[in-house]
Amino acid sequence: MSETEVVSESYVPFRPGLLRFEGGRGVLVGGRCRGCGAVYFPAPEVCARCQGEDLDRVDLSGRGAVYTYTVVRQSTPEFRTPYVLVYVDFPEGVRVLGQLVGCEPEAVRVGMPVEVVFEEVAKDPQGRPVVGWRFQPAEEA
Amino acid sequence: MDVYVVGAGMTKFGKHPDRDAVDLAVEAVNEAIRDAGVDRRRIQAAYCGHVYGGMVLGQKVLARTGLAGIPLANVENACSSGATAIREGYLAIRAGEYDVVLAFGVEHLTTRFRGALTPGEEDLEGALGLTMPAVYAMRAVRHMTEFGTTREELAYVSVKNKRNASLNPYAQFQNPVTVEDVLNSRPIADPLRLLDCCPVSDGAAAVILASERVVGELGRSRAVRLAAASLRTGTVEVGLPSMAFEPLTRATAQDAYERAGVGPEDVDFAEVHDCFSIAEVLRVEGLGLYPVGEYPKRAARGEADIGGRLPINPSGGLLGKGHPLGATGVAQVVELVRQLRGEAGPRQIEGARVGLAHCRGGKAAGVEGAACTVLIATR
Repeated sequence: MSETEVVSESYVPFRPGLLRFEGGRGVLVGGRCRGCGAVYFPAPEVCARCQGEDLDRVDLSGRGAVYTYTVVRQSTPEFRTPYVLVYVDFPEGVRVLGQLVGCEPEAVRVGMPVEVVFEEVAKDPQGRPVVGWRFQPAEEA
Repeated sequence: MDVYVVGAGMTKFGKHPDRDAVDLAVEAVNEAIRDAGVDRRRIQAAYCGHVYGGMVLGQKVLARTGLAGIPLANVENACSSGATAIREGYLAIRAGEYDVVLAFGVEHLTTRFRGALTPGEEDLEGALGLTMPAVYAMRAVRHMTEFGTTREELAYVSVKNKRNASLNPYAQFQNPVTVEDVLNSRPIADPLRLLDCCPVSDGAAAVILASERVVGELGRSRAVRLAAASLRTGTVEVGLPSMAFEPLTRATAQDAYERAGVGPEDVDFAEVHDCFSIAEVLRVEGLGLYPVGEYPKRAARGEADIGGRLPINPSGGLLGKGHPLGATGVAQVVELVRQLRGEAGPRQIEGARVGLAHCRGGKAAGVEGAACTVLIATR
């Protein structure tokens, strides 16, 4: 599913407050502490580093680099195996977990540049698409 | 106020299709009481660690062991549940509230789970497809990337622990395996394979804790001093920390070393939470027992074998003995007691005087680990 297809009233976010769509583009939304600048995804209610209670919402870059990865061969019944999981480091200084798509499992490498894509990851009980994020390989910057 | 372990007991770990959790716990509790040689009427309180046992499991055990009526708290802290139960008893005795306390842990996991454990579907990362093997697989990739650890070195951790287990009649695995066996077993989460993962297990373990006063009465010859019982929760990760090192394990260990008045150089052997081969590496390096980045190479040279420089998981650990979640932390202390008393038979570590037990349990999105315990026992 492309980014534009999910920008309809009928989509349900995978988790409230973590992603948003603007001008046909999706972004991951984290939090930045006003006191010490620490960035989180998802944003906590209180900053874990300085205990500050004021956090601003911050859009994460659309690109990051694979910090580590695995190919999951055995999982719970909700997930069809195999699938690739990656932790992606973002320029904002935050690490996000997600599935990697558009890439042979054998081709994943530490340091590989990836971009965020938004896709239907499930249906909700009313049959509406639940939209979440995934990563796919990106061109070298 | 010093606290002692005066009795220890456990069931064989493994698959127990014909018995339930209560039945297993009753066996372990009765064995611990007999081992302590204490009149069960003197037990003043109990703590029961379990994860999936359901409501008031501990009370069901008291009802069948002549202990009903005393205060009991059921304790859940994922894989650290059993060790947390012991710590609750330790704190109560130190506070002067009780002289004799029962702490036990139990799990009948084969009826609750098949395959990979997950952080739970309500957890953000669990909902993204994260399984516990995947967590450790991704840490293994980082250890291999940062320190040049090889696949074969990781496999040796499993080989060592299953060999130790073959010397332990209470262990689930009774047969040694080879590095080739590990590398040829079914892939679970690359690069981890089935024999890199602890099994799904049923089992129970129990200890009797006593105050200085009661130990004087029972006799000290078989008592083991519980010198520290430390508990920490994982902090929220800020920035981009290395996943090849465990600050939570380090922080919990530092607290325990300080309280026990010993350092990692004084530890003669350790039971650590080797839910996966790579997990033993991260624990041992986090505990400061081996230099960061070097454990896999040193273990592959035999330094962590029974009879080596610093033996790790002589009981067989989770990889060899099995991992019935709530029972695990208590069974580690059962091994500490047997080793420190010189009752460990063919897996005895000669002259062992200081033993350490480490558990880590649970995962929540954003934190390095949920609960971590380090217990130190001395002779």
